[in-house]
Amino acid sequence: MASPKTVPKDAQVMMQILKDMGITEYEPRVINQMLEFTYRYVTTIIEDAKIYSTHAKKSNVDADDVRLAIQCRVDQSFTSPPPRDFLLDIARQKNQTPLPLIKPYTGPRLPPDRYCLTTPNYRLKSLQKKVSSSAGRITVPRLSVGAVSSRPSTPTLGTPSVQTVGTKVGTPVSLTGQRFTVQIPSSQAASVKSVQNVLINPSLIGSKNILITTNMVSQNSSSDSSSLKRKHEDEDDYDAL
Amino acid sequence: MAAVQDGQMELDAEKETKPEVLSDGTSNLSGSTASGTPLTAGGAPTQEDQQTLIAVLQFLKRNKLSDSVEILRREAGLGDQEDSQTLEGSGGGKGDGGGGDANSLLSRVSIPSAAAPQNTPTPATVKRADEQLDVSVVLSAYSQQGDPSLYQVYYSGLKNFIESVLDCHRAELSQLFYPLFVHMYLELVYNNHESKAKAFFEKFGGDQECYYQDDLRILCGLTKKEHLKGNEALLDFRTSRFVLRISRDSYQLLKRHLQERHNNQIWNIIQEHLYIDIFDGMPRSKSQIDSLSGSFAGEARREVNKVKVFHGLLKEPEIEVPLDDEDDEAENEEGKPKKKKTKKDSVGSKSKKQDPNAPQQNRIPLPELKDSDKLDKVMYMKECTKRIRLNPENLPSICFYSFLNAYQGLTAVDFTDDSSLLAGGFADSTVRVWSVTPKKLRKVKSATELNLIDKESDDVLERIMDEKTASELKILYGHGGPVYGLSFSPDRNYLLSSSEDGTVRLWSLQTFTCLVGYKGHNYPVWDTHFSPFGYYFVSGGHDRVARLWATDHYQPLRIFAGHLADVTCTRFHPNSNYVATGSTDRTIRLWDVLNGNCVRIFTGHKGPIHSLAFSPNGKFLASGSTDGRVLLWDIGHGLMIGELKGHTDTIYALKFSRDGEILASGSMDNTVRLWDSIKAFDDVETDDFTAATGHVPLPDNSQELLLGTYHSKSTPVTHLHFTRRNLLLAAGAYTSQ
Repeated sequence: MASPKTVPKDAQVMMQILKDMGITEYEPRVINQMLEFTYRYVTTIIEDAKIYSTHAKKSNVDADDVRLAIQCRVDQSFTSPPPRDFLLDIARQKNQTPLPLIKPYTGPRLPPDRYCLTTPNYRLKSLQKKVSSSAGRITVPRLSVGAVSSRPSTPTLGTPSVQTVGTKVGTPVSLTGQRFTVQIPSSQAASVKSVQNVLINPSLIGSKNILITTNMVSQNSSSDSSSLKRKHEDEDDYDAL
Repeated sequence: MAAVQDGQMELDAEKETKPEVLSDGTSNLSGSTASGTPLTAGGAPTQEDQQTLIAVLQFLKRNKLSDSVEILRREAGLGDQEDSQTLEGSGGGKGDGGGGDANSLLSRVSIPSAAAPQNTPTPATVKRADEQLDVSVVLSAYSQQGDPSLYQVYYSGLKNFIESVLDCHRAELSQLFYPLFVHMYLELVYNNHESKAKAFFEKFGGDQECYYQDDLRILCGLTKKEHLKGNEALLDFRTSRFVLRISRDSYQLLKRHLQERHNNQIWNIIQEHLYIDIFDGMPRSKSQIDSLSGSFAGEARREVNKVKVFHGLLKEPEIEVPLDDEDDEAENEEGKPKKKKTKKDSVGSKSKKQDPNAPQQNRIPLPELKDSDKLDKVMYMKECTKRIRLNPENLPSICFYSFLNAYQGLTAVDFTDDSSLLAGGFADSTVRVWSVTPKKLRKVKSATELNLIDKESDDVLERIMDEKTASELKILYGHGGPVYGLSFSPDRNYLLSSSEDGTVRLWSLQTFTCLVGYKGHNYPVWDTHFSPFGYYFVSGGHDRVARLWATDHYQPLRIFAGHLADVTCTRFHPNSNYVATGSTDRTIRLWDVLNGNCVRIFTGHKGPIHSLAFSPNGKFLASGSTDGRVLLWDIGHGLMIGELKGHTDTIYALKFSRDGEILASGSMDNTVRLWDSIKAFDDVETDDFTAATGHVPLPDNSQELLLGTYHSKSTPVTHLHFTRRNLLLAAGAYTSQ
């Protein structure tokens, strides 16, 4: 710990608080964290109070504004767990239902898919645009995936290569923010378009609802190339990831 | 709205009792001050009537019946001046003329008018009444109280009395000091007598027991009413009644004294906030009381611990063990190896009759055994035959896994039951899984590749694994905060992790990806534990509840609410029908999975509980906390049967050996200690008589039970695990200072 002479007064106050609360051993970083927290909290409250006082057309910020600011912030950031009687109440309700019977072996026992993190939480929309028959037209789609930012990758099935994307109908695709170069073989001009159906997890989709369009062309040739045209919805989401 | 109505009803109740209270208080006041009643000019009513009228006045004011207030005041001939003077006089001139609510009400009134207390209190009173009704119901009952300046007198009076009684009763009655002190202090604070509260605290705070000092330190920081509102723990302390166990003789003494002296303030507090569990028997000694006290809400009532608990083990399923060269030919029952060394044998020998202490097989739905589970069981039984028998002469070897470069970020560790995998949860929100055996960790192949393999081949289970992903270590990313709890599933397929971000995550150990995130606690989840049969798991967190989940339900199945502070440790009983939770409120509760009821409350620790362990036969529970003691509990009778002293710092790891002969404890003081649990459990006699009183004399034999102390250089022990062959594995993070 720095010698008391060189420690600023605020830090000395923090050290005194820790001493009063009986905390004798602590890392030196704790003082800095406490100072930072105090500064941030106080400035937030005072800024809020200033807003309230200007809203009330007062010239100065007074105690009532500060009180109101504190009240509003308490409900937002410093929430505490629900009170005991509330917890006892919901516990009583929950505990009345008997334990559900277990179905015989049905594979891994997991909640319904929408509550799991096993599948992508986006769906690929079908693109009704006609496939152009001009050969050699290469589209360079850009991919933006919104809400799957911090999750670990789902079981991947084949990494997308630069040339083609190998997928099969009905299988989930793990899409990362990669660039794909897609070749549309001209021979598949008149082919069946099918919609690739991927399960959607609305509960996991964040504020940005990204729908990625695809044109899934099934082929009957041995080469497993199919074209996927992706329409990016929001340009800047890609950067925001 | 409900709160307001309740407030009013409570005020009604108060009104009924208030006249009595104040009249009693008056007689007390007159008794203590021994002064004549200083009445104003003749014709004024007596002290008692004055007080009653003032009480009624307060009530009317609180309910904004200002017209009635005026009428009453006029008719009774009371003026505000008289109110304050009467009370001042009756207080014997002590203090600042503070008196009941009347004065606090009136002093509020006087502030805006900035003059001596005047009448026309309407707007201010309305505001005050509103405030009072807005204040939570929980706190409003504190408004019933007597003269604050006399609190010190009451308390000292009680103290003197208790010091003068016989020795045998003194210890028991001293239990009263702490709850009374706290409640009186809180009443003073609530009614805004800040200076008096501080004086009261200074005078009597030091007298309290040492194990309450932490609570008192928090308490002395609370000096204003606003502080009370935000403090959940105190509100819970206020609502839940502090339980004291006193023998009948001591209780009679106390009651007689309090009723003689008209110390009704104390009597009121006792009646309202304390619950005195009277038992017939010898008064307890100080050490006996000390061993059981320490929790937020006093001790546990005896009838709470009387519910029948099925602590026996479930019958093992009968499995054919394929005879090979290793096993003996002579097997008496199916699946029973000749050398009877394991707990299963004892159960198996009674397989024809039901253990009366064991729950029914179908009491709670349990998953049935899959083929892979049966194979696991066969492996398990084979390992059991090779198990080392432990006893005081034959101590286990200890293998310590030190986590290097964890920078004090290791927050949770778990081993699989067959000790093949080790997982660590870290403060950087990652979970890392290592393979303990030379066999590397592999992921399952992708779906395309899986289609290509030959499904009928014998080694299909190896073929589904992708060799390209083989590694010693797998890192699992996903949590948003430090990982505080880890638990492997018994079938080694899943890993659970609980974190500060409020979620519990289920990871697959075949694909090493996250499968489900269970959201329910919105606050840090401190611990999680899989059931010994899989499928169910329990988690406990900062929101003071423990939740029971099943892997295929996204919402909890049971909520175990009742603790007064965070739930820090959760464990399943070996028969999966009960869950034990240890909490920061220093109690351990045992919950029934079937209906969510709390069936046992164990008090006695003096600090938050961080580790729990059930003995393999299901009868006993061991718990360790920050006070460095390991306490042993008999679940069937609900009693503390042992105390193991020796550690000097928090005990984070407790494990019984596979047959329950040795209890290993690991602590922050860098040691692992081994205790003789057979001896500890044998020495106890629990007949019905002693059980009825709720306590059993504890032998002070920690030294004899300690079989060995093993120091690590500077690695606190975070986790302990006995392998199937009774080798002890320990894990901790190396700290370099």
